[in-house]
Amino acid sequence: MAPIIASRLPANGSKSKQADSSSSNIFTIDVGGQLFQTTKQTLTQSGPDSILSKVCNTSDASVPFIDRDPELFSILLSLLRTGNLPSKAKAFDLQDLVFEAKFYGIEKLLVNSQSNPDQFEPFNLEKALILNLSGRDSPSSICTTPYGSVHVAHGSKITSFDWSLQRKSTILTQFTAVDSLLSLSPVVVAAGATDFSGLQILDLDQGFLKETLYWENVTRSSSTVQSIGASPDFLFTSFESGRRNSSAIMVYDLNGDFRPVIEIGHCEIFGADLDSAIPATKLSWVPSYNLLMASGSHSGPHGVLGNIKFWDIRSGNVVWELKEKVDCFADVTVMDNLSAIFKVGVNSGEVFFSDMRNIGAEKSWECLGDSQKPINGKKEGLGCKIKSHGNQVFCSKGGDLEMWSEVMVGSLRKNGTDAEERMFRKNLMGRAKDVGGSKITNLDFGGNKMFVTRKDQQFVEVWQSSVRGY
Amino acid sequence: MEAKIYNSTPKPPSGDRIKLNVGGKLFETTLSTLRSGGAGSLLDALSNRPINDSNPVFIDRDPEIFSVLLSLLRSNRLPSTYRRFTSQELFDEAAYYGIESQLKSAMLPSQLSGIDASVVSTIRPASDGVVSSFSVSDDDDGSVWVGHGGQISVYDWNLAHIGTVRTHLDFITSIRRVMPEIAAIGSEIDSGVHFYSFANGRRVGSVEWSDSSDPRIYKARVNAVTDSDESVFASFDCQHRENCVLEIDKSSLKVVSEIGRQNGNSSKSVVPGKLTYLSELSLIFGSSISSGAFGYSGYVRLWDVRSGKVVWETNEPGSGRSSRYGDSFADVDVDKFELNLFKVCSKSGDLAIADLRKLSDDPWLYIKDKNPSLSNVGGGVSSVIHCYKKQAFVGRDGGLEVWSRVEEQGGSSVCEEESYRRNFVDKVEDSERGIIKKIEGGGNRLFVSRDNVEGIEVWQSSNFSGSVSLL
Repeated sequence: MAPIIASRLPANGSKSKQADSSSSNIFTIDVGGQLFQTTKQTLTQSGPDSILSKVCNTSDASVPFIDRDPELFSILLSLLRTGNLPSKAKAFDLQDLVFEAKFYGIEKLLVNSQSNPDQFEPFNLEKALILNLSGRDSPSSICTTPYGSVHVAHGSKITSFDWSLQRKSTILTQFTAVDSLLSLSPVVVAAGATDFSGLQILDLDQGFLKETLYWENVTRSSSTVQSIGASPDFLFTSFESGRRNSSAIMVYDLNGDFRPVIEIGHCEIFGADLDSAIPATKLSWVPSYNLLMASGSHSGPHGVLGNIKFWDIRSGNVVWELKEKVDCFADVTVMDNLSAIFKVGVNSGEVFFSDMRNIGAEKSWECLGDSQKPINGKKEGLGCKIKSHGNQVFCSKGGDLEMWSEVMVGSLRKNGTDAEERMFRKNLMGRAKDVGGSKITNLDFGGNKMFVTRKDQQFVEVWQSSVRGY
Repeated sequence: MEAKIYNSTPKPPSGDRIKLNVGGKLFETTLSTLRSGGAGSLLDALSNRPINDSNPVFIDRDPEIFSVLLSLLRSNRLPSTYRRFTSQELFDEAAYYGIESQLKSAMLPSQLSGIDASVVSTIRPASDGVVSSFSVSDDDDGSVWVGHGGQISVYDWNLAHIGTVRTHLDFITSIRRVMPEIAAIGSEIDSGVHFYSFANGRRVGSVEWSDSSDPRIYKARVNAVTDSDESVFASFDCQHRENCVLEIDKSSLKVVSEIGRQNGNSSKSVVPGKLTYLSELSLIFGSSISSGAFGYSGYVRLWDVRSGKVVWETNEPGSGRSSRYGDSFADVDVDKFELNLFKVCSKSGDLAIADLRKLSDDPWLYIKDKNPSLSNVGGGVSSVIHCYKKQAFVGRDGGLEVWSRVEEQGGSSVCEEESYRRNFVDKVEDSERGIIKKIEGGGNRLFVSRDNVEGIEVWQSSNFSGSVSLL
């Protein structure tokens, strides 16, 4: 998106053939009978392929005419001038503006002004929209794209909403329910289920199955998908055999037709050693360390056991491993910007954090909530979701959402010795009327929005900070 | 295409452009935009004016509606401002400018997809609101012909009420549009099939079943009506249960032939309650289902129109797989475009499909459904089934579900047990409105009527997300 802004062409304007008019840089254009005056610089904001750039590069001396609605054009011209929509845009549907912007070839500018990830304001999020889903299935998993489109799997269907959340389309899949969903591009998703063999790459635009990826396991049984993750170059999939006695993480090349690159973390269960083969149920890429975080847990007679492993995908070795025996995680997330890992304890239901810079230390987890809480066998954290986005960590507890932020206190001295105590504080999100509700089942972020789904609710909640123009 | 309009414009500075003054507001557009309204329209006529006249053309109409219609001509899409006007206003105005067809194509619903449909409106006749019978035109027209009590009401493709005709019948139970202006109606409490013209509101013809050699064939009532291009087919049923299907010529409204006469003594020979003409095969599909103390029983029969002979039939209980014994169909329908039969089983609630091109003793392929959220529904309740746009819609009690095929890249035509998925179309709240009595599709809409509930629900698919703002 950024190159559009960068592609100003001030040099071209001065070399224009119209030597007489070059003294005044004013450019007049007639749209649907109304005259607009602007500069060539403003019009070339729209990018080289847009109609507007073509208009201002014609050698014709007369005023160019475009046969479109003048009122919509006046709004888009404001967008070209300032990068923002004027407040009078509210008189129109966003859908009209999107369509008109497509005609002029400036949709990217509109996206930038309305759904830019940089506009994400964690302290200013409010419950803004409800996206209703057809049918009776509640969402099982959701995924987003950086500019705020969202794909929602409900039952055997996947419904996609475009970045403006104005248009939707629904396709039917072979799954009975999709348990893992990840968007690879605005129209391509990877989908998998724990009760269906193979990872499917689906084209949501055309509604067909592009490819199915299987894991060849020793038992020659089916390979179900436990989780999906991706880095800019690779697609990671955690497979488990249909007999649930072996598992592995497959790495596929995203830029080469999903060619398998390496198989890591292959485990087989022999005998009663259940601990050895817990499949990874969460995969996330940690770009600053170039590592893949894989976490999995297992509920057994001695409580919930789990592990968090950091894999070097080039060598296929585990770099760090955190074994979880007491108050295992219910969910875990890595916050790359702050070099920290956060988890919700399944027994305590409290949020813990661990600094990745001293990960091998004796006491790896530090409780951010009530550390005195006795662990009495209850599973208060069961089903809690935790996810980091930007500089915040968002954690769901039942129907409520907490947001943890790091508080910077004191001087910025760097004494090189022991890392100073880091301080995190939480807020309960939303106004009084937004607090509570059914249990949160999915949490994701895209554009300047947060998406939330809840148990037994056939809709997606959109949390957003108010955007200029809308 | 839009780009072309622009590209062609700047070269002749004013030759292709035209100024309009509509109700005091100035508009400027191109001749090609005006001409896209189609030849013969007012706007097309304006575009043929001599160019040297530089004064704007004055049209004494509302400028705001014109701006909506001009946007439509420019972009082939209605701007959101159209919602300020009723569809009637828009149509009257579009008719004035002669661009109804553009407006119509912009307002037609998108392709019906059962997995993504919602109720958009309800057709409610003003009196006798409980609809006793309705039919939707098969063609693109999509108009709905509704029999309620003794009246016929017609709604056009835009669901606007066209008119109502009172008939001599007191309770219409079958209705079918057999000619553009003529409906064939029948009643299960009155005899004969009757043809009412909508142009003048009069009865234009009537056909009774009679047999000169058998005086008992008298006052036969009509259970189902369908039509082909040339003929109307109606199933007649006498007091003593003898029945047949009569073929009636459309131009003369006289009986041409008698098909499938039977005595009606057993469930295998009662009058067909559902008739469909399969134009591709020149066959008549007929089915009858009755439920009694021992469950459902019925038959499906295919008659050759020309010979009047039965080509294929199946009776349940009695034929088919022994494992499915006691699970006879609760309803059956034929997809006349894809040439498939669909049946819904009364006990298990399963759906089975049969290819009409490969019929045998047991042609049914029982579709496996693995959706756990649906496992506890189905079976033992009244079911209706209707095929539309390659999907099978099933109403079970109040719930509406759809069986749709998973698209594959190759688009293989082989039907397998697992190639269909079952999903609910409705929400739980929708199902509480009443037992679904009839489902029919047409014009990319699905029409659903419920037992003892006034009106017909209209379901449509849409690309608009319909997001609800909470701020």
